[in-house]
Amino acid sequence: MTSEAVLQFKDLDVKFKTEFGRVHAVKGLNLEVRPGEVVALVGESGSGKSVTATTALGLLPGNASIGGETIVAQQSITKLNGKQLRNIRGNHVAMVFQEPMTALNPVIRVGEQLTEAMEVHGVAFGREAWGRAVDLLEAVGIPNAERRAKQFPHELSGGMRQRVVIAMALSCDPSVIIADEPTTALDVTVQADILDLLRSLKDKLNTGILLITHNMGVVADMADRVAVMFKGDIVEHGTSEEVLLNPQHPYTKRLLDAVPHLGDGHGQFGEAVNPVTSEEHALDVKNFVIEYKRQGKKPFRAVDDVSFDVRRGEIVGLVGESGSGKSTIGRALLGLIPAHSGEVRVLGEDLTQLRGSALKKLRRRIGVIFQDPAASLNPRLPVGDVIAEPLDVHRIGTSAERKNRVHELLDAVRLPRSAYNRYPHELSGGQRQRVSIARALTLNPDLLVADEPTSALDVSVKASVLEMFTELQKEFGFACLFISHDLAVIDSLAHRVVVMQYGKIVERGTREEVLLHSSEEYTRRLLAAAPVPDPIEQAQRRADRHALLAEFGEQVVELDTRELDQ
Amino acid sequence: MSDNTNPTQPVQPEADQYSVEDVIDQTTDKSYSQGQLVLRRFLRHKAAMVALITLILIIILAFTSIGYGPIPGWWDKDYLTTSTVQNGGAPTLSLWPFQIGEHPFGQDTIGKDYFAMVMRGTQVSLFIAFTVGIIATFLGTAIGAIAGYYRGITESLLMRVTDLFIIIPALVLAAVFGRTFGSNVPMLAVMLGVISWTGLARLVRGEVLSLREREFVAAARAIGTPSPTIIRRHVLPNALGTIVVNATLLISSAILTETAISFLGFGVRAPDTSLGLLIQTYQNALTTRPWLFWWPGIFILGIALCVNFIGDGLRDAFDPRQSMD
Amino acid sequence: MFKYIAKRIGQSALILLLGSLLLYVLVINAGDPLEDLRESNDPNRENLIRQRSANMGLDLPWYVRYLTWLRGVGGCFVGRCDLGTSRDGQAVTGLVAQAAGATLRLVIIATIAAIVIGITLGIVSAVRQYSAFDYGVTLMAFVFFSLPVFWFAVLLKHYAAIQFNDWLPNGRISLPTILITAGILGLILAAALGGSWRRRLVTFAVMFVSVTGILFYMDQVEWLRRPAVGLPVYILAVIGLGILVIVMTSGFQNPRVRNAVGATALIAIIGYAVVRPTLMTERTDPETFSTANWILFGCLFAAVLLAILAGQLLGGFSRRQATSASVTTALFASVLAFTDLMLSHWSGYLAVMPRPIPTIAAETPNFYSTYWNHMIDTATHLILPTVALTAISIAAYTRYTRASMLDVLNQDYIRTARSKGIAERKVITRHALRNSLIPIATIVAFDFAGLIGGAVITETVFGWQGMGDLFRVGLNNVDPAPVMGFFLVTATAAVLMNLLADLVYAILDPRITG
Repeated sequence: MTSEAVLQFKDLDVKFKTEFGRVHAVKGLNLEVRPGEVVALVGESGSGKSVTATTALGLLPGNASIGGETIVAQQSITKLNGKQLRNIRGNHVAMVFQEPMTALNPVIRVGEQLTEAMEVHGVAFGREAWGRAVDLLEAVGIPNAERRAKQFPHELSGGMRQRVVIAMALSCDPSVIIADEPTTALDVTVQADILDLLRSLKDKLNTGILLITHNMGVVADMADRVAVMFKGDIVEHGTSEEVLLNPQHPYTKRLLDAVPHLGDGHGQFGEAVNPVTSEEHALDVKNFVIEYKRQGKKPFRAVDDVSFDVRRGEIVGLVGESGSGKSTIGRALLGLIPAHSGEVRVLGEDLTQLRGSALKKLRRRIGVIFQDPAASLNPRLPVGDVIAEPLDVHRIGTSAERKNRVHELLDAVRLPRSAYNRYPHELSGGQRQRVSIARALTLNPDLLVADEPTSALDVSVKASVLEMFTELQKEFGFACLFISHDLAVIDSLAHRVVVMQYGKIVERGTREEVLLHSSEEYTRRLLAAAPVPDPIEQAQRRADRHALLAEFGEQVVELDTRELDQ
Repeated sequence: MSDNTNPTQPVQPEADQYSVEDVIDQTTDKSYSQGQLVLRRFLRHKAAMVALITLILIIILAFTSIGYGPIPGWWDKDYLTTSTVQNGGAPTLSLWPFQIGEHPFGQDTIGKDYFAMVMRGTQVSLFIAFTVGIIATFLGTAIGAIAGYYRGITESLLMRVTDLFIIIPALVLAAVFGRTFGSNVPMLAVMLGVISWTGLARLVRGEVLSLREREFVAAARAIGTPSPTIIRRHVLPNALGTIVVNATLLISSAILTETAISFLGFGVRAPDTSLGLLIQTYQNALTTRPWLFWWPGIFILGIALCVNFIGDGLRDAFDPRQSMD
Repeated sequence: MFKYIAKRIGQSALILLLGSLLLYVLVINAGDPLEDLRESNDPNRENLIRQRSANMGLDLPWYVRYLTWLRGVGGCFVGRCDLGTSRDGQAVTGLVAQAAGATLRLVIIATIAAIVIGITLGIVSAVRQYSAFDYGVTLMAFVFFSLPVFWFAVLLKHYAAIQFNDWLPNGRISLPTILITAGILGLILAAALGGSWRRRLVTFAVMFVSVTGILFYMDQVEWLRRPAVGLPVYILAVIGLGILVIVMTSGFQNPRVRNAVGATALIAIIGYAVVRPTLMTERTDPETFSTANWILFGCLFAAVLLAILAGQLLGGFSRRQATSASVTTALFASVLAFTDLMLSHWSGYLAVMPRPIPTIAAETPNFYSTYWNHMIDTATHLILPTVALTAISIAAYTRYTRASMLDVLNQDYIRTARSKGIAERKVITRHALRNSLIPIATIVAFDFAGLIGGAVITETVFGWQGMGDLFRVGLNNVDPAPVMGFFLVTATAAVLMNLLADLVYAILDPRITG
């Protein structure tokens, strides 16, 4: 192993010219990646981490001005002309993007997208390139690679597509791979597989990897060294043990404190929820079935015979991966999707049987928070109107009373009263989510449906929103169905947990039963796959997960180099 | 966003310095709504501003010069009275030295003042275009929104009517209505409006289809907001860009349709006149009396061009993604 | 897929039926069909009124008239078309048969030209966003979008036909004209190709010098009156074409595509050299014209067939790409050959027709001449209406393609393609182009309806006895039969166009069939 850096940033400085003036995205950054090493560049949105990585490919848009140097294969990227730059791209440095659903061209066959880079860089041509493409697909663990190569991207699942993207990055044997949030869009079990695959790359091919992520668990799982970025600057840099276990910089400390840790249970962020005292059911779901009609096929059963309940003052976590039907349940409870059969009792009344004004009256007692704060607020209404809307719809109070109520709520979610006249686009993500929480609480609901309320938020914001949420729950005492894919978040506030897979309930029980002592195979898989932000503990968890997979008779995903050596 | 290097700002406590959540900018009390931002961008769009001013000038010129209905204008001739042909009817307008003269746009073959005729034609064409624009925008928005939000019958009806317009071109229908109602300008305008809404309706439907899946609409439904209120308060304001931009396109295409059917002889009938009718009447005069051909054409082109540029400016203002460098 | 097409055809038939009913009712209510007779002082008035009423069946209720018409149309399926009679008792079937050819030729050529030119301009201006070229194209698009087609057609008639015909007999191209033309073309090409200032300067210089040279040469040898082409020029042109196709598709690295295109070009050159003498023979007997037509079609068919063969045999691994590239080459080589044949007969045509660009009618009436003179005659009659119609449509295609292309260029997969080190040209042709064409396919159907409307106007300006005339006169007389004849042909064409667009959509987008 040589110690010569495969990727080096020297005093990198990037500014963008925009409609609203100059934005200084990266401020004099120094970092290097050596062969066979994973360097994690950690930061929250707007920290400049993706911009930094993009300079390595020379792919920044025209309004960027770049100072300093990015060095790949002993060449300074900014000094190269178009042709030299293209020779570097894909050949010496390759990129794995965040969104596997959009990273592949929808009208070109997977195999052809793989052979393209090989032909451009003269690695292989024609039939030989195709053969190598099939080998690569097999190497990244895609079964039936011969057939898959002839398919179009829309015929592959998300995890499958991310493997194709990784295979594509590998196709020309680059010395360094930049992985920009490679697992953010994936389910947790798929994430674990992709991370295993990436890890085997550096071990078997001695590739250097620059891993860009905001997920501390992924960092702990993968990284040899960590650089923490804040507003365009690296504020702390060291081995992953140093940075994650003994952070020096206040920002790093703050960031790590904000990460929910699976297994730490309630009160991680200062406030612990009260124990449930009431036996009265706020929500009672029985034999619930939801079907989607499909043209020419039999209807798709998204939720299949599901029963659970939520007591007054209780938070129940509804957990599952994409396609499990958890969000469908949430939407059906809100009356957005019709139920096929079964009954849903909210405070004793059957929601599926009510119509007209009775239904409207019942709806007043249910509040809702959606995942994406940017999408869940009407961009054309000021914050005050957004929060007052439930009062308006149900014709409650005079306009002065409504204004008072909005001010109270703004205080409750810790936003200044001056936010009343602001528009959503003037607020940050966390502030917008506070607004949607305030809107959900406007009518003092007895039941709150929270659909992934924190998954679109940055780490540190997530923690403060969770803390505030817990406080509000204690204060207002509402029952809550908390839908999330993030087990650590559920762990920090739920009383009971329901685990779903393919539209069915796999397991249910108290938080301790499900998250600490589960006996169900699927739950154990989920738990094993969720990374924790502690490299030593995570190494142990990884070994445990591999043991668990072995127990289920499955193999750990890794690069199968036999396919490539032929 | 507060800038940490700004010396006039007090140094923030360390804990807050590393907060990602920005404080709401309280230095300005003024808060811009989306509408105000759009207006600001539109006012800065030079081509659109020039076009808007030109269009307003054309409208003022057309309606004040020869007056409208009973209201008299400042021009002393009208579009019906004939007089002796002077100097072969050549235009007296000249820019250097600037003079308007007796017949700035010349006279037609029987000595009618061509300026007054072109102004009348412009009035009629503008009246029809804006009436069509208003009616078609209203119908298109309503039908598109209902089809997109409720789906069901309205949607399939809309799609079938759209299919119908693929096989019967709008111009053909317009000509048939022109043949029927041509002598009655307001009626013609209404009928043209009634057949022009489908394009806008399709676009509004598409926009509403995607808006109704947005979470803020789901949030409003979950609260129990009635559907008409959701459409009015949440859906349509967010589809405003599509509606406004395409309303301008409707106006410019209505100008062209009206002049085209008048040219074919199915639109406005003599003694009233329109820009298309003037061109049809004098299409063979290009060699002998070119002004009779050029003036109405330039006015049609000018109006349509202005409206299209305004539309382009609005598009950029509503959707700055495509115009930002 | 078949099920889908069958369903579409069924839907279309229903819409056609509905449309015909609607139009029929509207037309018969558009006025009084006897108006002119009622006002006339003809002593024979009553008789004329009775005769016209009988021709139009005015004493029957409207639905009986409609059903009679519909039954006549139904006869088309068993080979006995009867589209009714006009108010003067003429059989509309015959009128339609005469008129349909010219109009459909006009509309289809205009559609193809508008699609090809509009999409090309749209793509180049999207790729060169915010360049002088982009602004120029955008401005042109706006002007054409706002241009009344009839006004533009009259201008064309005046400047491109009458004044050109005046100029042609002894016209010279003056030096300033040559220099200005060369300068403008140079600027356009430099702006379209872009690159560094040095590269633009070189592009401009090359273009300027070559255009000046060509125009000067054309002026000296009176090329516009005696165009000299022939095999040598054809060979050069086909070689150039082959290179262009290779560069635009796979680039020179891929030997398979290169060989296939090369072979096709070679076949085209040899084939044309062999058949050219046969094609050049003068035929004067109108009876043999159809034979000549079949020979031309046969050549085109053979060219495409051989191109497919070349692509399949030599394409090896990149068979699909090689085949499509060779077929493109074959098609354009055929167009070049056809152009060569036309130009070779141009001076002969000028001898018969000293004013070659006509302003009226779809073909010269009572024109008895050689096969190629007839061919040129039809072509020259088509030029102006096609230009007028195309110009209006290009604007819309340019704007849509530009918007769609800009949208695609912002997609993640374009970034992925660039990150692989693929050249920008290939990113555009291979990754962006196909995706940006997908939304365009749906616009074609609507645009076709607009073009038919435009054709009605253009035919009026240029005095064609086409479908537009049938419609205009029929509507003016409140005579439903000719109007419905017009409807039947144009609506069926629109439906077929729509089906074709759907098919192209499904081919372009693999997600549709899945």
